[in-house]
Amino acid sequence: MKYPLQISLCGFGGQGIVLSSVILGTAVVTKGGLYAVQTQSYGSEARGGQCQAELIVDERPVASPVSDDKDILVCMFQDAYNRYVPTVKKDGMLVIDPDLVTNPDRNIACTYAVPATEMAVELGNRMAANMVMLGFLSESTGILKLDDLKDVVADHVSERFRELNMKAIDAGAGFAKDNGFYRRQAG
Amino acid sequence: MSQAKINPLRQYVRWFDGREKLPHFFCSGCGAGQVLNYYIQALDKLGMDPNRMMHIGGVGCTARIPVYISTDMMHGVHGRTLAWATGIKLAKPELPVVVFAGDGDLASIGGNHFIHAARRNLDVTVVCVNNLNFAMTGGQVAPTTPLKAHTMTTPYGNAEPRFDLVELAIASGATHVERWTTSRHAQCAAAMQRALTHKGFSLIEIISQCPTHYGRYALRTGDPVKLMEWIDSQTVTQKQAEGMSAEELDGKLVLGEFLRVERPVFAGTTFA
Amino acid sequence: MADASKDRVLSGVHFMLGNYAAVEGALSAGCTFFAGYPITPANEISERMSQRLPRLGGAFVQGEDELASIYACAGASLAGAKAMTATASAGYNYMQEGLGYCYTIEAPVVVLDVQRARGENFASQADVMQMRWGASGDFEAIVVCPSSVQELYDYTIWAFNLAEEYRNPVIIMSETTIALMRERLDIPPADQIAVVNRRYTALPPEQYLPFKADRFGCPDAAPLGEGYHTIYSLNPHDEKGSIDWDPDEFDRLYKRVCGKIYENRHKICRTEPYLLDDAEYALVAYGSEARVAKEAARLAREEGIKVGVLKLCNVWPVPVEPILEVCKHVGKVFTVEMNMGKYCVEVERIAGGKCETGRITKNRGQVHTPAEILSALREGIR
Repeated sequence: MKYPLQISLCGFGGQGIVLSSVILGTAVVTKGGLYAVQTQSYGSEARGGQCQAELIVDERPVASPVSDDKDILVCMFQDAYNRYVPTVKKDGMLVIDPDLVTNPDRNIACTYAVPATEMAVELGNRMAANMVMLGFLSESTGILKLDDLKDVVADHVSERFRELNMKAIDAGAGFAKDNGFYRRQAG
Repeated sequence: MSQAKINPLRQYVRWFDGREKLPHFFCSGCGAGQVLNYYIQALDKLGMDPNRMMHIGGVGCTARIPVYISTDMMHGVHGRTLAWATGIKLAKPELPVVVFAGDGDLASIGGNHFIHAARRNLDVTVVCVNNLNFAMTGGQVAPTTPLKAHTMTTPYGNAEPRFDLVELAIASGATHVERWTTSRHAQCAAAMQRALTHKGFSLIEIISQCPTHYGRYALRTGDPVKLMEWIDSQTVTQKQAEGMSAEELDGKLVLGEFLRVERPVFAGTTFA
Repeated sequence: MADASKDRVLSGVHFMLGNYAAVEGALSAGCTFFAGYPITPANEISERMSQRLPRLGGAFVQGEDELASIYACAGASLAGAKAMTATASAGYNYMQEGLGYCYTIEAPVVVLDVQRARGENFASQADVMQMRWGASGDFEAIVVCPSSVQELYDYTIWAFNLAEEYRNPVIIMSETTIALMRERLDIPPADQIAVVNRRYTALPPEQYLPFKADRFGCPDAAPLGEGYHTIYSLNPHDEKGSIDWDPDEFDRLYKRVCGKIYENRHKICRTEPYLLDDAEYALVAYGSEARVAKEAARLAREEGIKVGVLKLCNVWPVPVEPILEVCKHVGKVFTVEMNMGKYCVEVERIAGGKCETGRITKNRGQVHTPAEILSALREGIR
């Protein structure tokens, strides 16, 4: 893995965008032994109900808490896509939910369409779409182990949704595996 | 050393440099000295040692009362007496805390802290010497100044209705509330004894004469005796008030013990 | 006891919110009292304290306003507690009055201010002067400025220790940037954390003078309600604590209260040099700007610009000597800060012509990016 790794997740309020970035950060720090910085913007700062969370992962303490160019951008809302897609590096990785980002007009070589919301609905609750995305990220990028992710999710979400979330994570990981979606490392 | 008989209450007076911190700085004829006297009588009756207590004064004439008592005290910031007291009682609940505050200190700048401390039933005794004006600053209008009274900042008469501190305290949640006047020595000392033994928020309001300012500006006399007589004419006991009409009671302050109930005292957020 | 310290000190690796890290730092330092009034972006501090403190035998109160909160801390501190409050810029305005009292009666309290831009959760360092000069009267402030979640934890412990050591309020100058950021936090085992406790007098009440100390020293404290009959007054007081307007007593009191901080600054101040050994230019930065400045220096060196960074771990008292030392060895010093240019005036005063000075400042509600600093640096050395 090439560090620092700059990951951004965006969508609209209520999709669990911030929680996803917190879970990802907790897993890479407490399980992976890495350093990470997580920040977020929402409300009046983001406008239009948009929500965006950033995570910078590094082997050393992270120097700058702000990053201009993202290595990985996960988009779950067209408006958020429009706003944040210019921040993706040319050789970066873009993950979209094709039902919510219907006009992905920027040409990023490494773009994956993951129907996370549709898959979550099939599992019984659209709220688990973020977990599908996390499962997908874990498998396709290798930034964290699936078991570590599951451990952290179990700590962060209520008992009631545990089974659903585990299934959603597996579904996301399975989607990456089935389609051979693995991030091609630049350089 | 002379073996002359001295007032045994002087054992409660603060000493500095091997000397009593007396005489006090109050104006001649001021009621604050009387209140100090009544208070140490109450302590003496109860066998309470002020050295084992905390006293708080804010800013103003009344705030100076504990300067003359041998005790730890906080002093010198206007209106924040009960905010200090809140911190002390949460950090050291067993330490008795008594606040001396003037009407300006307690009801004007400190009004917010006053209602919230009462609401919480903080376990403190508040002695409010109400001389109906801001005295230390030179006789300006206070939230307790009677309507139409002339002060340094109401040269055409006070246009504002006044606070009734007893009603304010009761409405806010205080659990022991009394009002007396400096002319009622025994009642003041007894009220203070009840307050010192009460578990919860006690307000003892004492209507007091200010010969230097309120007397001269509002009543055109600096004679403390005349002022005490005037206060007596403006106050009635609860018993007297029972037989009086609303018109007769207009502008009068009722004296007595209004409330003494038990309610859990404030201990901050607790984990049980 | 072992169990109690386990609950108090959450040793281990965490991915934690900055505001929470400050709470954990306070608890590790022995905080037993917290009072605060709701304000964004400091609320997570009150919320976590309200949950954590009562379980550890401490006291929590949500004050009726900021004044109530800071004064409750003053009262609790005199009563023996290690007391803390937290607020954000607008709330810090209100607290100046109470801070003035704490400085004068020498009450140790810790105040955390999450600096924010007016009314919103945008990043800012615009209160850096208010940290020092906010209250009326003569005093010296100690202000520590963490730049990360780890430092929010570490510096909060440091702040409590300084407060007890010098019997002075200590301000933790936080910022929206780090307060609302989650980051890796390593909490050491409880027995590896150095904690300073208050020095109480060994003298009996009849020999004790509450405000007596060496010329630039700090008096020993006395417990409340044990016969020491001390007056803690905002008014000028002599060594006995008697309210005293004598000019010589005035002079002695204020020289000591200010001197105990300023004259001990070599013991209080901490700075961290980064790539300064062979530097031809230097960036002086504090808080979140310090970490960005380091990244900018690293990038500048890739271009062949020999620049280093002096990170100020505390801004007050001013680390005069370390800044002066840098000024003597470089051609130009730039102050990097997130305001219209405030602390740069201090740096320029200390430079005093020994080197050129420049300012890299902005107030746009965002931390500088390394690229912005680099571009300003290129411009400034042309």
